[in-house]
Amino acid sequence: MNRKDRILLLELVKTDFKLRYQGSILGYLWAIIRPLLLFGILYIVFAKFLRFGSDIPFYPVYLLTGTVLWNFFVECTNQGIQSLLIRSDLMRKIAFKKWIIVLSATATALINLGINLIVVVVFALISGVTPNLGWFIVPFLIFELYLLSLGLALFLGSINVKFRDVQSIWEVLVSALFYAVPIIYPLSMVISYNEMAAKILVLNPLAQIIQDIRFFLITNETMTIWELIKNPIFQVIPMIIVIVVLFFGVKIFQKKSRYFAEEI
Amino acid sequence: MKKNEYAIEVKNLSKSFKLPTEKSSGLKQAIFNSLKGIKGYTKQEVLKDISFKVKKGEFLGIVGRNGSGKSTLLKTLSKIYVPDCGEIKINGALVPFIELGVGFNPELTGRENIYLNGALLGFSNQEMDKMYQEIVDFAELEPFMNQKLKNYSSGMQVRLAFSIAIRAKGDILILDEVLAVGDAAFQEKCNKYFSDLKGEQTVIIVTHDMENVKRFCDRAILLENGKIVKDGKPEVVARNYLNLFK
Repeated sequence: MNRKDRILLLELVKTDFKLRYQGSILGYLWAIIRPLLLFGILYIVFAKFLRFGSDIPFYPVYLLTGTVLWNFFVECTNQGIQSLLIRSDLMRKIAFKKWIIVLSATATALINLGINLIVVVVFALISGVTPNLGWFIVPFLIFELYLLSLGLALFLGSINVKFRDVQSIWEVLVSALFYAVPIIYPLSMVISYNEMAAKILVLNPLAQIIQDIRFFLITNETMTIWELIKNPIFQVIPMIIVIVVLFFGVKIFQKKSRYFAEEI
Repeated sequence: MKKNEYAIEVKNLSKSFKLPTEKSSGLKQAIFNSLKGIKGYTKQEVLKDISFKVKKGEFLGIVGRNGSGKSTLLKTLSKIYVPDCGEIKINGALVPFIELGVGFNPELTGRENIYLNGALLGFSNQEMDKMYQEIVDFAELEPFMNQKLKNYSSGMQVRLAFSIAIRAKGDILILDEVLAVGDAAFQEKCNKYFSDLKGEQTVIIVTHDMENVKRFCDRAILLENGKIVKDGKPEVVARNYLNLFK
């Protein structure tokens, strides 16, 4: 990334952020209120009515962490995919590196995640979670989540330029995926039904990352891939998936982006 | 000096587009086409084997009728399009204005838009700080800089965009059909500016106004069906251009 690219990236992120909550009374506060409200709904439905997670300490914060991370994944991929269409006018009129567009869109999502995580930490402290050294591992896990989201955004975004169907397909896939990741239900619940199913679920990098972050940030009683699967070859599958997705995302984007200006 | 005598060297440049033959484009159509063995597009050659050179400090006009390939040529020079084959050599920083006010956002203030536009052209905030006052002065919009762009009249917006274009300090300036902006007074100011620019900066303009070609350009190129049919003195090229319509 040279100087010119950095200037543009910074300016696009700044503009995105400035414009996001313009015209709303509460402004930036929405970045915090929105996930809290969503969390409130999930909490009332799943923790209070359906009585999920009674065996997990700090279940509300545990739930909040999961939804915040999931929301980031959804926002990051969706914004990344759409950003290329939103900025199509720029691509037709000026020459610049196209990945800056996707990077700026995902960076905006990353800033939102940062704000939300502050809320999570405050909630955790209020609930009685004691800060520990494990917290320092969380940034690395978030980095892994970001790489996965970025890889998907690059891959899906570059195809979406020509086939707009991708956007709609992804929306459906994401809502299906939501139920395949242990966010609202605890993994222990799946294990009690069918242990094999639980083992397959945690091979999904999203499940691995979310469970790991909960383990280090909230409570050691979180079930993680490391505990559920003993074979080290299977344990690294989620990370291999992340690397493969990122690799192909970058490759395909590089190949396709040369012709974005003509095809969009 | 000899080595970098030219600002732009174009050699055997060709560019074609794939135009979809079907009305709808999407996944369904793509799968359908590949099943039936149809390509789904026709190839249109827009630039055919074009070669020319532009000297440093030269003011070059490109003329031709609609669809002759002028804009495609500018976009290929600006690296927006990738050439099919051929070579483009550019010595120096090229600042393209295919359209004025690219990236302008109505929700941002005039000031913010100047910096955003500058970033798109590759200028840092510090560099824009230096140019800012000049841009605002030239546009004569000082009292409006902290207003949102959506509250500007269209004439004011164009003036702001145009001022950024001519104040952006690049080695090569590329302008597509953007000479006629603003009211008579602003026009006069722009004309004077372009006259002063002559011989100082390398400029390539696309225009349909032959008066401007004769007034500003040192040299002109006439494009017809993606080929250069005339390359020479502005007066001669202007006459050739007008003859096309007789």
